Amino acid sequence: MFRPRRSRPGASGSRVSTPVVLLETVTKRFAGHTAVRELSLVVQRGAIYGLLGPNGAGKTTTIRMILNIIAPDEGRIQLFGTTASGRDYSERIGYLPEERGLYRKMKVLDLLVFLAQTRGMDRASARREARNWLERLDLGAWEQRKVDALSRGMQQKVQFISTILHRPELLILDEPFAGLDPVNSQVMKDTVLELARGGTTILFSTHIMEHAEKLCNYVCIIARGEKVLDGALSEVKRDHGGRHVVVALEQGSERWDAVLADPALVAKADRYGQFAELELAGGADPQRLLQALVGAGARVTRFEITEPSLHKIFLDKVGPDVASTPSGREAAGA
Amino acid sequence: MRKTWVVIRREFAERVRSRWFVISTVLGPLLMLALIVVPLLLAGRGARERAVAVIDATTTGFGERLTALLDRSPPIKAFRIPSTPAQLGARADSLTLLVGARALDGFLLVTDATADDGRAEYRGSNVSSPRDMQILEALLEDAVFTERLERSGVNPAVVRQAKIRLDLKTAKISGSRMTGESAQGAFILAYAMWLVLYMGILLYGMNVMGSVVEEKTSRIVEVLVSSLRPFELLAGKVLGVGAVGLFQLAIWGGFAAAMLDQRAIILRLAGAPAVAATSVAWPTISAATIAVFLTFFLLGYFLYAAMFAAVGAMTNSESEARQAANVVVMLLVLPSLLMIGILNDPGSLLAVRLSLIPFCAPIAMPVRWVAGQVPWTEVLASIGLLAVTLLAITWIAARIYRVGILMYGKRPNFGELLRWVRTPA
Repeated sequence: MFRPRRSRPGASGSRVSTPVVLLETVTKRFAGHTAVRELSLVVQRGAIYGLLGPNGAGKTTTIRMILNIIAPDEGRIQLFGTTASGRDYSERIGYLPEERGLYRKMKVLDLLVFLAQTRGMDRASARREARNWLERLDLGAWEQRKVDALSRGMQQKVQFISTILHRPELLILDEPFAGLDPVNSQVMKDTVLELARGGTTILFSTHIMEHAEKLCNYVCIIARGEKVLDGALSEVKRDHGGRHVVVALEQGSERWDAVLADPALVAKADRYGQFAELELAGGADPQRLLQALVGAGARVTRFEITEPSLHKIFLDKVGPDVASTPSGREAAGA
Repeated sequence: MRKTWVVIRREFAERVRSRWFVISTVLGPLLMLALIVVPLLLAGRGARERAVAVIDATTTGFGERLTALLDRSPPIKAFRIPSTPAQLGARADSLTLLVGARALDGFLLVTDATADDGRAEYRGSNVSSPRDMQILEALLEDAVFTERLERSGVNPAVVRQAKIRLDLKTAKISGSRMTGESAQGAFILAYAMWLVLYMGILLYGMNVMGSVVEEKTSRIVEVLVSSLRPFELLAGKVLGVGAVGLFQLAIWGGFAAAMLDQRAIILRLAGAPAVAATSVAWPTISAATIAVFLTFFLLGYFLYAAMFAAVGAMTNSESEARQAANVVVMLLVLPSLLMIGILNDPGSLLAVRLSLIPFCAPIAMPVRWVAGQVPWTEVLASIGLLAVTLLAITWIAARIYRVGILMYGKRPNFGELLRWVRTPA
């Protein structure tokens, strides 16, 4: 039921040579600033690809260029191995924009059928699929009601249904979890994972690393319009792993300032009260660090050599100054 | 193209099912009916008797003859009150009270001076009715004329014989061929045409703008342009709303035709006298007139819809759009303000110019066409200019639309608009 309509058997495994989305040194400038600079990325079939970056990094601009809503100034974009535009493939692509919106005066079912038709589906199957999905997401009783009459959470579900109704091969979600309540967030995550298992390629952007960490198998981190790092999540973690220690102390025994400031032991410390995520200095032994902490009078309740969290990698790579710099320019598209 | 059709279908279905459409479609014919029946009923009420007293201070018997003449001419009922020049003031005062009590519509003061140098006075509650005063004046003039001829020794019988009532029939010549249309009918038709064109282009153009703004403010436009080219979306919107307009006009047109056809029955039901049906000059509508009307309505609607769509794309809210649309509305108001001028002299330089200027032509040309004789070459020239302008405006509007629908924030200034237009596709 959730298999994309056009996926060919074996397409996901054997033919890794044609990526679903390919960007080659793509640049986009708006009046006075460069939103995306020489960005290259590859999304393979079947991937759950996270496009990560702080607000204003160029995520939405990148997604809009992939969909051909706006054109790049330089560089090349390929979809499904051809240079045809996103609109030519609209029946194979589902898109959930960052700014959600529906026709508020339309009936739910009519709206879903209309949007599916603009993506090339015929009326009869659009109706059938829309009913199925409404039923599945507990909105069956609302199909003849106007969008206006629905709660925000229900409208979000309707919007999500409209994105996946035509069984796209490629699902592009821009900040899919923004503004969702925990219940809908879970529904969204479950459905996305189910679609991915069925072979749908998923590209989504987010600035919340926890979401990316749970969902993605590939990530690309961008900041200020430029790629900082990309690759399979496991590789990214391995490349940055082994040197990270999580430490927790008993309350009132945080006498660790001197230890954390010792450059022979600790390269970087990310402190949260009695809890810290540390990156060891080159050649430092974790056991010496533990010794030093105990010696300083700290009562250690947790000491764990870990893979870094994506959040930590993100902060390391992008820098806290950029990560926390808000910018509304991306949303405005200009 | 298939996707444009999907958009047309949605615009049409959503609009036709809306409360606004149902109400305006039903109210339109009712308004038409009221426009026809109410004046007739009022005219019927105007046929009520007018009680007029003649205060006669003449010494020649002129007062008596005048009273008899007035009394013979409906709707006036006249009676004579003999008086002397000295009593005139007192009589007038007491009759004024009667007029105030509505027992009398008015009274006429005649003296020998009336026949001598044409001086008379009428006081009444109906002096502001041009129709009543016209009748009274004509009768009085007639009586004075007869009186003076008789004084000069002309036999009244000869005078009566020499005087005949004149009946001037008017007919419009169109394309060197006389039509059955009367001047009054042409006027009514021109007026109706102006109203329908002005309201139609404005209302449906504004509808397109509202639709653009709705998609922009609800942000659904971003999903739409990921599957449709902006021009496909714009074209679907304009065609869909236009189809609603034509559909509504067809309903109204059909209703109007049926009412004209059955006017005798409708008037009888409304209680108007049977003669009323023939006394009003009903407009006749030729196939050429319908063709001219539809051509200019459609071209005008497309032209203004494109401009309204561009305005909608530049703005961020319905109210902001309405404000910004005033510039466009003014273009449409201009020929409407000068409409009376066109009606009075359809061949004047002003009328010819207005009907050739593309932004005024959609209203000015059909009005001119109905009101007077317009050579085909001028009609074709006007259509040609309008079509070329339409293409240019659509090209510009589509480019503004394409960029504007994804822009939020400050309304663009002229320089930014130029940059939008120049942005490559």
